[in-house]
Amino acid sequence: MLNDILLALQAVATIENFLIMAAGIWGGVVIGAIPGMTGTMAVTLALPFTFYMQPVPSILLLVALYKGSTYGGSVSAILIKTPGTASAACTALDGYPLARQGKAGKALNMALYSSVIGDFFSNISLIFLAAPLAILALRVGPPEYFMLMVFALTTVAGVSGNSLLLGLVSACLGLLLATVGEDMYGSFRFAMTNEMQAGLAVAPVLIGLFALPELIKLIVFRNPPKTEPMKLGDNRVSGREIRASLKSILRGSTIGVVLGAIPGIGPASAAFFSYGEAQRTSKTPANFGKGELEGIAASESANNGACGATMIPLLALGVPGDVITGVMLGAFMIQGLTPGPLLFQTNMHEIYMLFIGMMVSSVLLFGAGKITMRAFSYVAEIPPTLLTSVVLLLCLFGIYSISNSMFDVTVLLALGVLGFAMFLLDIPAAPFLIAFILGPMIEENMRRALAISRGDASVFLSSPITWIFAALILFVIGITFRREVAKARQRKADRA
Amino acid sequence: MRRILTGLAAAAMLAAGTAQAQNYPDQAITLVVPYGPGGASDLAGRALAETAREHIGQPVTVLNKPGAGGMTGAAFVSNAEPDGYTLLLARVGMALTPAVNPQSTVDWDAYTFLGELEASPMILAVKAGAPYDSVGDLVAAIEQNEGTMTYAASGATAIDGFTVQALLSDSGMDPLTAATLVPYKGGGALATALLGGHVDFLAISAGSLMPHIESGDMTPLMVFAPQRMDKLPEVPTAAELGYEQAGQITGWSALYGPKNLPEDVTAKWEEVLAKVADNETWLTLAERRGSISTVGQKNMAEYAKQQYELFHGLAQKFGYIQ
Repeated sequence: MLNDILLALQAVATIENFLIMAAGIWGGVVIGAIPGMTGTMAVTLALPFTFYMQPVPSILLLVALYKGSTYGGSVSAILIKTPGTASAACTALDGYPLARQGKAGKALNMALYSSVIGDFFSNISLIFLAAPLAILALRVGPPEYFMLMVFALTTVAGVSGNSLLLGLVSACLGLLLATVGEDMYGSFRFAMTNEMQAGLAVAPVLIGLFALPELIKLIVFRNPPKTEPMKLGDNRVSGREIRASLKSILRGSTIGVVLGAIPGIGPASAAFFSYGEAQRTSKTPANFGKGELEGIAASESANNGACGATMIPLLALGVPGDVITGVMLGAFMIQGLTPGPLLFQTNMHEIYMLFIGMMVSSVLLFGAGKITMRAFSYVAEIPPTLLTSVVLLLCLFGIYSISNSMFDVTVLLALGVLGFAMFLLDIPAAPFLIAFILGPMIEENMRRALAISRGDASVFLSSPITWIFAALILFVIGITFRREVAKARQRKADRA
Repeated sequence: MRRILTGLAAAAMLAAGTAQAQNYPDQAITLVVPYGPGGASDLAGRALAETAREHIGQPVTVLNKPGAGGMTGAAFVSNAEPDGYTLLLARVGMALTPAVNPQSTVDWDAYTFLGELEASPMILAVKAGAPYDSVGDLVAAIEQNEGTMTYAASGATAIDGFTVQALLSDSGMDPLTAATLVPYKGGGALATALLGGHVDFLAISAGSLMPHIESGDMTPLMVFAPQRMDKLPEVPTAAELGYEQAGQITGWSALYGPKNLPEDVTAKWEEVLAKVADNETWLTLAERRGSISTVGQKNMAEYAKQQYELFHGLAQKFGYIQ
């Protein structure tokens, strides 16, 4: 075994492989940081290149792009409140306020540390826990999936800000918008034009809701938001701050790994889940959404934790969990390798090479993050009026380039106006986005579960996994209700 | 003077026109794949793009335009300028969707048919260890359980829904109620549903199932293809087993363009596809994704019509349309 590992190390430790991974990671970080450009796009664009590469380097390139772009999404989320990918949406909630307080460097560093730790965790789990996690993942059928997603939706209570009621309104709007298009049985809902038949894509909704309202505010109110200049010396994350967030980072990494291993859940849901948990268990939940480092830590450790873990069902079972691992499966097949249990018997050499490469890529992620951060942190010093126009341009082109569709651009602009209206009414945007992303998964799995049980609702409490989540959901609802009652009493007491 | 100038201009334009036609292609060609990245159709599209590029002398870029069961991408190409720079990686869905849905946005013949590319067999499979050794066993169990057995498919009127429904209909059962359809999106999710034991059986494209069949986690019962698969020589085809409608169903890919493509474009592609047919890369890539290359073997216009009529007939029989 040790001999095999050394052989693999020898095969994988070449300058070429190192350059391929470095280019992949860095390219991923930059693409992820540009609003509108996503990891899926990066991986898809790189696929044809892999036709001419050796099997292991080609997979490593795709993995590097995926990891890089998942981290990169946090850079623009923090600096310009434009999450490059959906999984960085919760990072924006705390990262942007920090950037406004002149602590952009601190926020970026925290995002990088938690991403790298999450990434490292998911590599370790992939190497040592792939088989048991894969078996667990297969157990998750439609009813379990439904309960898990409903639980993730309870994060809404945490990101609602001042008013739970307005948060719920926002979430309902998000769920409603998620129903646009063709449903799973082929009927159309709210499909007023041909384009609407395909539903609304995540990227334009995400960017429209988060980035555009900021730009509109600048135009309407005419006074650029006061941004403190970056303070020297306040860019570092102190040891004390790391220790304070360590619990959230470790929990986020675990959440990321477990949810990432279940096909179809992906980094965005893992990040929401982790953020909700961090806030729920925090001693100062009110600080979340106003610039709490722990929020960034929770969100970023979970999304990168999920990233490597999506390789678990791919390698161990041969099933891709999302579009990106779907593309990777394609790359494996093109190379004549078939992911699945057989791969661990027939191609152990390649597996070892892949594992070693992935460990190295964690280190590269740290380096690439540090370099990119320095380059991007000057963004905070660009005058807002100038920055606004560039960001708007990037958003428009980025969204158009995803599927060459003007409809996506229309969605982007419409959601921007909606987001601004929601800001005026004090309705928070985060619950909207979370509901929009989780909505289809909740609906589809509910209908699948009911199809299998032929309409018998007891299917939702038919296995131990569903019991656990049912208990958790009740627990969270109970706690939220108690907190709301306490708040109402407080207000009454204040008035008296 | 004016007349001369106009004449000159006209001549120049004509010359430019012919020059342009002879020069096809003088810029990159976009190949639209009407499904998401990573699936069987995406891999077929990218393999074609890579091989055709060598022979046509221009880059061929793949553009994924998923949505509405492939109709979003199909409409995009069908409505595009017929200049040969926007082409479609067509799948069986391009004939199936208009056949089962009269309101479909693109008709089956709203294209120029440039040629067939590959046949991609579909496989009827159950989870390993399930108590069915043959299609007969499975059909008997479906009949006994009166509609409670479940199968995974992309949708009722998708190709992988029709495989099962044709089998049910051939076995004398009501295709819509004899077994319960559980919809999933994409080959990976469909395979996972069977692997996790969340559904009882399925009949989807071979590419998504072969890894699990080879690892022994799934048992193949029957193949939907004109002949047996090289990799599964002992698994019978639907036609061999006497399933008349199921025996006619199989998956395929073809190259389509917008209607009324100029002759030089169609001629060029005829030439290029003839070269692709023996291209080593194309053939190995086809084998690896579980397909059989059929480049240039069929008259595509005729085959598309046959396929449309087959599915139209089935849709009427199953009760999807009047």
